[in-house]
Amino acid sequence: MKKVAIMTDSNSGITQKQGEEMGITVLPMPFMINEETFFEDISLTQEGFYEKLETGAEISTSQPSPDSVMDLWRGLLKEYEEVVHIPMSSGLSGSCQTALMLSEEEEFAGKVYVVNNQRISVTQRQSVLDAIRLSEEGKTGKEIKEILEGDKFNSSIYIMLDTLYYLKKGGRITPAAAALGTLLKLKPVLQIQGEKLDAFAKARTKNQGKSIMMTAIENDIKSRFGGLAEEGQEPGVRLQIAYTKDLEAARLLKEELAEKFPGYEIHMDPLSLSIACHIGPGALAIAVTKKL
Amino acid sequence: MAVNTIDAKMLSHMFLAGAKNLEVKKEYINELNVFPVPDGDTGTNMTLTIMSAAKEVAALGDTPDLKQLAKAISSGSLRGARGNSGVILSQLFRGFSKVIGEQEMLDIETLSKAMEKAVESAYKAVMKPKEGTILTVAKGISQKAKELENTDDLDSFMEAVIAYGEEVLAKTPEMLPVLKQAGVVDSGGQGLIEVLKGCLMAYRGEEIDLSFDVEATSKAVNVDSLAADTAHIKFGYCTEFIIMLSKTFNIKHEMDFKAFLESIGDSIVVVADDDIVKVHVHTNDPGLAIQRALKYGALSNMKIDNMRLEHQEKLFKEEEKKQAAVKEEPPKDTGFISVSIGEGLNEILTDLGVDVIIEGGQTMNPSTEDILSAIEQVNAKNVFIFPNNKNIILAANQAQSLVEDKNVIVIPTKNIPQGITAIINYVPDLSAEENEQNMLAEICNVKTGQVTYAVRDTVIDEKTIRENDIMGIGDHGILAVGKDIAETTIEMVEEMIGDDEVELISIYYGQDVKEEEAKKVGAEIEKLYSECDVELQFGGQPIYYYVISAE
Repeated sequence: MKKVAIMTDSNSGITQKQGEEMGITVLPMPFMINEETFFEDISLTQEGFYEKLETGAEISTSQPSPDSVMDLWRGLLKEYEEVVHIPMSSGLSGSCQTALMLSEEEEFAGKVYVVNNQRISVTQRQSVLDAIRLSEEGKTGKEIKEILEGDKFNSSIYIMLDTLYYLKKGGRITPAAAALGTLLKLKPVLQIQGEKLDAFAKARTKNQGKSIMMTAIENDIKSRFGGLAEEGQEPGVRLQIAYTKDLEAARLLKEELAEKFPGYEIHMDPLSLSIACHIGPGALAIAVTKKL
Repeated sequence: MAVNTIDAKMLSHMFLAGAKNLEVKKEYINELNVFPVPDGDTGTNMTLTIMSAAKEVAALGDTPDLKQLAKAISSGSLRGARGNSGVILSQLFRGFSKVIGEQEMLDIETLSKAMEKAVESAYKAVMKPKEGTILTVAKGISQKAKELENTDDLDSFMEAVIAYGEEVLAKTPEMLPVLKQAGVVDSGGQGLIEVLKGCLMAYRGEEIDLSFDVEATSKAVNVDSLAADTAHIKFGYCTEFIIMLSKTFNIKHEMDFKAFLESIGDSIVVVADDDIVKVHVHTNDPGLAIQRALKYGALSNMKIDNMRLEHQEKLFKEEEKKQAAVKEEPPKDTGFISVSIGEGLNEILTDLGVDVIIEGGQTMNPSTEDILSAIEQVNAKNVFIFPNNKNIILAANQAQSLVEDKNVIVIPTKNIPQGITAIINYVPDLSAEENEQNMLAEICNVKTGQVTYAVRDTVIDEKTIRENDIMGIGDHGILAVGKDIAETTIEMVEEMIGDDEVELISIYYGQDVKEEEAKKVGAEIEKLYSECDVELQFGGQPIYYYVISAE
């Protein structure tokens, strides 16, 4: 019997296909669109999602049902001794909390470890990669959970929105975001760090927003993640880019980021739909994670 | 008979005369402005600056010493300074005052030293001193004074120095091509010469009407200035008493007595009863009133108050109250002050988080004092100021240098769009220094253009302009001239953007533009720059039909 199974949800940006290749399990997140349930990457594609979002459909996210989670665990435990489950940030969804509770059931206690390390999208994906490596190194489920949770503050994400419209529509607007100013069209820059998704800064144009994000990333590297790499030195962080809908804009951002941070590894993914439905199309995100 | 020294009383008289002469020539100086915009107001700015000092000087009364006088001139002009020429003028006075404040009496040598110090101080205040301006004229005057330091006739010294200043002034068009093209001399330099001419007239004892045009200054002075307000009190002592009549006091006596009181004061009340007369008068010499009254009988219930002190106390109390109100809450980390005019623009800036708007702009340059008062109102550790006009930046810098209890950061924004961009780019998580750097970098990426009309014929940037023509003025000069507002605006935008890539064009239309007209202009621009976002907003600013930015 194999030792540790790694599992995550579709918020990690890892598709079913990629999951298979990586040898992990990806739990699809459910969406309610006009009162019909869809599953990310199963019955709902990225294109299909944006088409519905932009035609004004009522879209809401929901948690995976406890049954669907437990069924997956039960299946995995037939082949593996332990399961490490890395769900989306507990700050953004209750699904982590639910999973933690379920993992304490007698059936799963000591076998299923739910990692509460507050990651989402590209940074959640990086946690999955770290977990795979740690299990290959022979770490136990409990050890992997502890290592990942000990590292939880070592990442941040900045997201520039094309518009405040979806954030307001979803009612997810925090006092800081509401204070962004409403008379001029602004591109707010939000930050996800730890539990909160909140207003960080604002810009008038995409280029201003990008430069704000890059400066913020640079400051994080300098002040929190051990400084910028000297020439020829291995960087201590990984960079990530995520986007909603606009792949071209993301590619351009990747080029610009590579120019500003030469020698850094940059991974790029579409932003998971549970975030996208709150911020709308045309958003760009830059993330940084400290190497574990 | 030549007296070759100047004492405090004479200098005070000369200073007031200088201020008066500048005020008289104000309009003429305004017209020397290179850009024929409706609000080119070097003369107004310099006059308001010197008036602020003149009020403090007048408040000293007839017998100041040089130390008091120096302080009044220096602090009054420093706080009242507005506009670039005003700030430079105030710095000239400040340097000058430093030297004269230490003297008992002024002679040619001390005057020359004071002028030297004045020039030194003014050059220091300007980051990149430009020749062909008031600075050059002042420097020329000081050099001439130095050359004549060992002469012994004060009158001819002053005459020669001023004459040389005029010579330098006449050469300013050779130093600054914009002046030459517009066919004018430097307006600030002209202002300085007018001040000095007024001084010389007073020294020579020529008759000068020292009644100032209060109207011109009152609208600008909206801040409590202690000295300035007490200066309005003409008669200092409120004097009241009752005469217990020892002889008849008929209607003729009453008329005589009133006439006498009128000759020494105002606010006169004389009420005669059968055997007493109640008297109330504001005068500078209560003794005279009392002496005269004693002719009619013994006095009782005497009460004399110094109204100047009272008034100051009241103002002090109000000031304390204001400060107490501000200080009750703990200061927030960062506050913002913006100069702006126009309902729409003010609203946009407030929406973006500006704490205090100083009403003003090209039309009305706020003074250092106005900016200081705004800083006082913002209860924050760090205060960013957006002057939004290049003629206000120096006054803001001057205010910044006078504040000690807050970290004041002046972002040298030259127009409203730059100010808007600066505040938008503020990031709460960064330090004030980092924000300053970011804002400075971002405001360079904003191009702007403003549309107004010409107030006279001229030639600028090789463009011939007729009175009432519509002009589109960019960051570095005239971009378009025409007869039609919409056409000129679009031409200006095309010139402004050229081949550069822009993402966003913002149009703020003024109070004299109808919404439909503005929408048409917006649609036209959208057509021309289809790859770009175009945002049309009501600015409500006077005089400028459109303020447009591209970034």
